[in-house]
This record gives sequence, structure tokens and C-alpha cells, in this order.
Amino acid sequence: MLLTPDIVPVIAATGASARVAARVAPRFRVGDRIRVRNHNPPTHTRLPGYLRGKLGAIEQDYGVFVFPDTHAHGLGQKPQHCYSVRFTAREVWGPTASDRDTLRVDVFDDYMDLA
Amino acid sequence: MNGIHDLGGMHGLGPVVPEKNEPVFHEPWEGRAFALFAGTFVFAGYTVDEFRHAIEKIEPAHYLESSYYEHWLHAFEEVLAKRGFVSHEELDARVEKLRAGGQ
Repeated sequence: MLLTPDIVPVIAATGASARVAARVAPRFRVGDRIRVRNHNPPTHTRLPGYLRGKLGAIEQDYGVFVFPDTHAHGLGQKPQHCYSVRFTAREVWGPTASDRDTLRVDVFDDYMDLA
Repeated sequence: MNGIHDLGGMHGLGPVVPEKNEPVFHEPWEGRAFALFAGTFVFAGYTVDEFRHAIEKIEPAHYLESSYYEHWLHAFEEVLAKRGFVSHEELDARVEKLRAGGQ
């Protein structure tokens, strides 16, 4: 593939989406309660460390995307669903956090299990 | 990777202070670094995920002291050297030449 002038503005403005057309069944539905796995590989991951072991709820299913953990190391796309997952600030940061705040984090199928 | 890039929730780093009227690039070389991504991605065959991992592997103290586009430069060197498009020796030689006032 060559970089031609006509595609440069598109790439510079939007980047390239990691969304893929693969048909993969979601492991979770909106409203499901989940627990994040103790996922701590020495290799690439998009799971923030502060979420390991935390309880949350599926808020939105974004669809199917390339899985960064395998893709970063030439181990294939392993396409899977990515979700917006809601966590309370107290679940993530402990009892000194606000009891009204929540976080929404993008979490892949492989990072969590049903709680 | 449980590394220095994963700053979420760390204490003691101070507030995020947005720059007023922040330019897209602070120096001309930052624009060139940005352009390198599209320019090398298409022929070198790396993925954005591999690129991000190269940034994560920067030595932790240097990671904190260097700027966003310095992180990018480091990642370009990693992924391009890995594929043999350039060697670390060539890069070091170029740096020495520039440091001595060469072009």
C-alpha cells in the first residue's frame, strides 16, 4: 500500500478505525453486572490497571473491534465486542471518593466475566 | 503492560492544566513527527497497537520527562528498526552528526 495525497486528509482527520465487520456474538448484554478479570499481562493491553477486579455494569455495546492485546504482537485480530462499562467512583477509588460520581470505561469482552 | 504509561489513579502528579490557545504543534518537528505515522504505517506494516506498546516500553523516568511527540519518535525508531528499515546505529550516527553542527 502507498500513501497517496488523496487519502492523507482523511487519515490525518479521522485516523483509522479498529472496527471490523466480523460477526462475533457478544458475551454480555446491556445491564449485565460484570467483574473485571485480574488481567495483568507484561504485553500490550488497553485495560487500565485501576479496573482489575472491579465490579461494573454494561451500559452500551459499541460493536466488534480488533483486540489490541493480540494485534499488538502479531497474534491476529481476535475480533470481539467492546462496551462502555459503568463503575462507581467508590468501587474504583475507595470510600474517600464521591458517592455520586461514576466512570465509564471502554472494556473488551476478554477483560471481564459475569459477576 | 503494568507500566508508567498507565497513570490513571496515581496521586501526586498535580492537576491537569490546559494550555490557553494551545497550538496543534508546539515546534515544526512535531508536525513532521505526526506526518511520519501515516508515511511509515502504510509501507512498514506495523499496527497502531504495536506502536502504542513501543511507547509503553520507554524507560519509565524518560517517559515522564519527555513530550508526547518524543514518545512517538521513540516508537517510530522501535518499529522501523525491528523491521530493518533503519538501525539504531544509523540513528545514533545521525544524532552525532547533527550535534556536531552537520546537516
